[in-house]
Amino acid sequence: MERPAAKRLLTSWIVVVAVTLLYLVVDGSADDGGAPGASATASVAAIVLALAKLRIILREFMDVRHAPRVLRAVTDGLVLVMGACLLGTYLVGRAIA
Amino acid sequence: MSAPDAEAERFPGDPDLWLFVVVESLVFTSYFCVYLFSRTQHEQAFLEAQSALTMTLGVVDTIVLLTSSWAIARCVQHTRAGRYDAARRSAVATAGLGALFFALKVTEWVHLIGDGHTFTSSDFMQHFFFLTSIHAIHLIIGFVVLGVLVHQLSDPGRRSLPTIETCSTYWHTVDLFWVVIFALLYVVR
Repeated sequence: MERPAAKRLLTSWIVVVAVTLLYLVVDGSADDGGAPGASATASVAAIVLALAKLRIILREFMDVRHAPRVLRAVTDGLVLVMGACLLGTYLVGRAIA
Repeated sequence: MSAPDAEAERFPGDPDLWLFVVVESLVFTSYFCVYLFSRTQHEQAFLEAQSALTMTLGVVDTIVLLTSSWAIARCVQHTRAGRYDAARRSAVATAGLGALFFALKVTEWVHLIGDGHTFTSSDFMQHFFFLTSIHAIHLIIGFVVLGVLVHQLSDPGRRSLPTIETCSTYWHTVDLFWVVIFALLYVVR
């Protein structure tokens, strides 16, 4: 019983580390001839990847996967609210700048 | 009721701490929104100030903290299985990785300040120093929490799974906040 749990935890760690390394690709894709350049695509990707990592940490590391439904719903709702606020603020801010 | 269903009823840690996680996440989110909005209104100035940061260092910071989260999750698994020595080793490893993260952060601050990037040098740096230092305060509180956890594991009369799960939840929260801070400060363009 314990061994599959340890394996699943290790797999989750590998996934979140891999997603973190993906940021190097996202960062590189936004480079404009070596100089830092603005990129809505890179910014939205950065936020979405962070939200994906949040959910993995909550579900797997913090064991929400085995929690009562109310906690699973609250934490999923929290990630959605954070995503809506961050992406909404960024996109609206860019639109009116 | 099947075994997985019975397991599904388990609440990981103190519900009060979960309330703290939700409220604190919303407080951080509101500040993140202020940062993002400010950034979109002064895009070029933020980009120029942001170029002083080293992306690779941010990635290393993040991996170190994610590994500490894995270690504290292992600590909880060992505790549930009654392997208290292994649990204590995992908790000590968590504290070591937390200390490494803090050392990397302080080194980064020292280099930035040495290069003239301070709290008042630009809007971006103001956000950077505020967010990373408020996160560091949470990290330092996390060391106290880990101390409680190690103390509990060391004394057979004090071992309490709910308390250990609660301490673990706090540490993961420190990791949660960093994941978003890293994306917003180092990657968002």
